Amino acid sequence: MQAERAGGLFWFAVGLISIYGSIKLGVGTLREPGPGFLSFLAGCFISLMAAIVFLQSFLQRQEVVAKLSGFWKGLRWNRPLYIGFILVAYILALERIGFLLTSLLTLLVMFKGVEKLSWWKSILISVTISAVSFWLFNNVLRATLPKGVFGF
Amino acid sequence: MDFFSNLIAGLNVVLQPLNLTFCFLGVLIGTLIGVLPGIGPVGTMAILLPMTYGIPPTTAIIMFAGIYYGAQYGGSTTSILVNIPGEAASVITTLDGYQMALQGRAGPALGIAAFGSFIAGTLSVIGLQAIAPPLVRVALSFGPPEYFSLMILGLVLLTYLAQKSMVKALMMAGVGVLLGTIGLDSMTGQPRFAFNIPELLDGLGLVPLVMGLFGISEVFLNVEKIIQVHVTSTKISRLLPSFQDWMESKWAIARGSVIGFFLGILPGGGAVLSSLVSYAVEKRVSKNPEKFGKGAIEGVAAPESANNSATGGAFIPLLTLGIPANVVMAILIGALMIHGITPGPMLLKEHPDLFWGVIASMYVGNAMLLVLNLPLIGLWIQVLRVPYSILFPLILFFCLIGCYAINNSTVDVALMLLFGVVGYLMRKFEYEPAPLVMAFVLSPILEQALRQSLILSGGSFIIFLTRPISIGCLIVAAGLLATSTVSFLRNRMKEKEAENL
Repeated sequence: MQAERAGGLFWFAVGLISIYGSIKLGVGTLREPGPGFLSFLAGCFISLMAAIVFLQSFLQRQEVVAKLSGFWKGLRWNRPLYIGFILVAYILALERIGFLLTSLLTLLVMFKGVEKLSWWKSILISVTISAVSFWLFNNVLRATLPKGVFGF
Repeated sequence: MDFFSNLIAGLNVVLQPLNLTFCFLGVLIGTLIGVLPGIGPVGTMAILLPMTYGIPPTTAIIMFAGIYYGAQYGGSTTSILVNIPGEAASVITTLDGYQMALQGRAGPALGIAAFGSFIAGTLSVIGLQAIAPPLVRVALSFGPPEYFSLMILGLVLLTYLAQKSMVKALMMAGVGVLLGTIGLDSMTGQPRFAFNIPELLDGLGLVPLVMGLFGISEVFLNVEKIIQVHVTSTKISRLLPSFQDWMESKWAIARGSVIGFFLGILPGGGAVLSSLVSYAVEKRVSKNPEKFGKGAIEGVAAPESANNSATGGAFIPLLTLGIPANVVMAILIGALMIHGITPGPMLLKEHPDLFWGVIASMYVGNAMLLVLNLPLIGLWIQVLRVPYSILFPLILFFCLIGCYAINNSTVDVALMLLFGVVGYLMRKFEYEPAPLVMAFVLSPILEQALRQSLILSGGSFIIFLTRPISIGCLIVAAGLLATSTVSFLRNRMKEKEAENL
């Protein structure tokens, strides 16, 4: 599919959803605008602009049209995907197993698993960064970092 | 007389040991992230935002300002030595800076970049100090209709200067306004688009949004590519430019300073646009335009002066009207809000120490940067050798921990990741994130101004057309939209004619 058309359709849908949500909230009147007033206007505006992007795509010359699949051609597209999964795991684990252990494991997986650094380098950097950041946030900046089931 | 007494009052603030330390930290961090490709001032300031809870607001803003203009200094180093701009505002410096390095003149290129930045940075602070107070007096007479129209003009200007499609930039501004409405309605207290998530009742946080759209998405885009940094082996023996270099650069620095300052004031103008414009102007006025791109020292002096001068100009709308000229300024608004300070015309009256302290800190910070940049260039080159494979997990990690520490909430971290994915896709599809963030920051003020204006006028939009400042802003905005549409149609017709031929 053509990238411009896909993008236009997506944002058009976003605009319509926000119009629907705003009407449910209450748009109000011009004399007394309601809580959904601005989001209603924003939704209409997004839909209008998205429709222009969609229609403009039909005017573009075929040789300058970007295809969706072309965005990832020749790139290591799987790496952002791996990193995304690691970050999701971090979010899920943080409050369960605590800041120190989660951070250490996450950094280790990134350095060793994704970047293929040597074991000793990965361990050294991960331990140092986790410990220093824990000290900085916990002791210096007095942030409350999650301790988790292990108590640290 | 006021000029000097205000300056002395500001210097009294900035010369306090705590402020001086954080000013130094700011310019040091700024230079560091300016040198490093893959992380910019926006991401860094977002990471550091939660850390400013424990320090006074003046100190925090002094540090953030230092990061901003420090990054412009640092950005030139990578442009000249490795042909990779550390900052978008230094892209144009690669053209002549790297050529100078290849010709064995890396030293004078780095030297003129540092001196030009210092001179332009200082001149722009003088301009800021002179223009801000009278503009505050004008801004005090603004009512809700003037604010609304001014913000509309700001958003249109921002999208007009968008590097890609103006329609897409306008759409992103609409999305930013929409995201800004999330949370409790300030007038009725009704929750909006919160989806029963308690963390969203206070509205979407600026930090998860900015970190996601700029920090995380940047990492996603960079890890797909293979980044290889080759530091030029040229020996940097002499940093001080020669008399001839100075003669060739003096007007480039002067013109760059003026262009940068005025373009910096415009929403969306900022450092990037001013560096491009000043380079183009320099090439046009030069007696030897063929030298440009082949190692002309004016090609380094002009954009580096302009991008630093733009940082001073960008503070004018923030300090006087409470309106950010770019995303960095939007984060500064966030930092001020955290401390319960509303930027705008009342800032000078209510917090003169902050107002003049920040301005004076820029004089001090620019002097610090000159000292940091010239003798420490060897150190910055070593920093450049840190591979991206080590750098990116650290950037991600500090984004995670920084975002969590704001509210101790994993919801914020999840939102950051979500916006990271959205930002990654937006850049792939050529949608710019800057108008979205700017509109998001302006959204609450825009909404309040619009609703108050309509209530004042009994539901009539005519109120925006009966006040001189308001109608002036709207006419300029409409003019910009019209010229953009006409130029689009003209280009289309030309393309059509070319196809037919």
